Amino acid sequence: MPSSQTPSIAGVALDPTAVRPPLDDAEVVRVAPQQLRETLIALRDGGCTMLLDVGGVDYLDREPRFDVAYHLLALPQAAATVEAVGRPRRVRVLAGVPAEDARLPSVTDLWPSADWAEREVYDLFGIVFDGHPNLRRVQMPDDWVGHPLRKDYPLRGPAAEATPRPAFASKSNVPAGTPPSGKVAEALQRQIARARERGNA
Amino acid sequence: MDVVERQGNTMTLSMGPQHPSTHGVLQVVVEISGEVVEKLEMEIGYLHTGIEKTCENLFWTQASTGIERMDYLNPLGNALCYMLAVERLLGIEERIPPRAQAIRVLLCELSRIASHCVWLGTGGIDLGAISTFFYTFDIREDILDLIEQSGGARMHPNYLRIGGVNGDVPAGFLARLDALIAKFPVRMRELRTLLQNNPILRDRMIDVGTVSAEHAVKWGLTGPALRASGIAYDVRRAFPYSGYETYEFDVPTRTEGDAYARFLVRLDEMDEAMRIVRQVRKRLDEPGPIMVDDPKIAQPPKETIALSMEALIHHFKIVSESFRVPPGDVYQAIESPRGELGFYLVSNGNNRPWRVRTRPPSLYNLQALKLIAPGQLIADAVVMIGSLDPVFGEVDR
Repeated sequence: MPSSQTPSIAGVALDPTAVRPPLDDAEVVRVAPQQLRETLIALRDGGCTMLLDVGGVDYLDREPRFDVAYHLLALPQAAATVEAVGRPRRVRVLAGVPAEDARLPSVTDLWPSADWAEREVYDLFGIVFDGHPNLRRVQMPDDWVGHPLRKDYPLRGPAAEATPRPAFASKSNVPAGTPPSGKVAEALQRQIARARERGNA
Repeated sequence: MDVVERQGNTMTLSMGPQHPSTHGVLQVVVEISGEVVEKLEMEIGYLHTGIEKTCENLFWTQASTGIERMDYLNPLGNALCYMLAVERLLGIEERIPPRAQAIRVLLCELSRIASHCVWLGTGGIDLGAISTFFYTFDIREDILDLIEQSGGARMHPNYLRIGGVNGDVPAGFLARLDALIAKFPVRMRELRTLLQNNPILRDRMIDVGTVSAEHAVKWGLTGPALRASGIAYDVRRAFPYSGYETYEFDVPTRTEGDAYARFLVRLDEMDEAMRIVRQVRKRLDEPGPIMVDDPKIAQPPKETIALSMEALIHHFKIVSESFRVPPGDVYQAIESPRGELGFYLVSNGNNRPWRVRTRPPSLYNLQALKLIAPGQLIADAVVMIGSLDPVFGEVDR
């Protein structure tokens, strides 16, 4: 099966985060999924008030297979001048996620900004965030099969044809079994179903 | 707008994804009671093109082509952020020649003005001030001409390279730049006269979409949206890159946190960007190298290829298999016109990036619409989207 995996060259690093002494870009904290929430809560209470980003990385042959990187920034929570902001502390929390149990606790209750970011990691890597109020796909169509940013996801070839590209109108169509996500989303689904019926008639 | 559902006094409307006021392909589903928004949800992803995945399968040198297309109003800023991250992994960030850095800063600040011009022009149309569009696009056109002259294309020139820029600015560039520098204050004065104290604009924007400083931090707002809430966080000041610490500029802030504050902050930012451009202009009189002095990274000048064996070999190697980047991960941020743009790059030592994760400022800024829209009029939701200035190429990537 053709794979998106770059042809490996002898000597490449299985875990790049462990190879090189970290550059002076942020403090790096590595945690197990069980300690993730307490670490993030401690950091938030210690002044890292803004969650800049949540992003996944798939290391394929490494154990644990995935990393989810939380980028934090220490900003004041009230009006502040350039001098008061200064050079804020940056922290990167890396949580290793094993392939067979790809789940992490959600932090949407700590930072509302995590909502779309966690949905994106779920969508593109298949990592489930327990406690997320609305864990649906965000970038790919809702009836898409597979998680495209995984390294074993095919770039092209027969397997790609096995995943038919849905029609444009079905972007937000949620297949049966997906947890409901509130009244608005349900109404939206009904609208799309009606549009489909009109299209079929 | 389609009516999705009616129930008692509330009605659910679907706005977009094809709707002029959403500034791109955004679907907003609003539950309204009369004219008041009760609840709002957004659907994004209509413009998802898998740029991050594509980058993993390109050489380090090629990936910037896709990256420029993320935030299409600030392609040079996107490319710069990626280049800085790769340069950091390569360990050459201290060796970028000053002239290359000055050209990078110049083009990024010009892009910031051009981007704010699009925001101001389209935001004006949202409010019925259609003539603004022509004033702002006049400035933008001059800037795009400059970008075309330096890089060869108006929108996505792929002019910045890992290690410097691709070729020096051509003859006639500086004269055009001088003309723009002379013209800009006049145009800005006209724009401010037209808009700043315009009673209709003030009525539509003051106290609309107010974000407190605390909420702005919680929701991950950056850029003008954060600074309009009073927090003077600017990546150019907090984590200077490309020599920003050597330029004099102020970070405009307001404390109101509403759409009008964001409008004023961006207007002031255009003036500050031009102030930086004027300082860069003075430095461009000095000639100098524009690429890092490292034959493994910088392509040799074309004219040397026919004369030197080494140049031919380096050229062949860089074009056919790029170069390897030492393993490691790095987070690099710059101040894009929309806020903190970040790249989290992972290299496993290969000639292609292992992972290119973008921190798109628009994604987080736009998300805050869920916070500010409920309880306000549906007509104001349009103003709020405009004032957050999302770019969907970047939100969806």
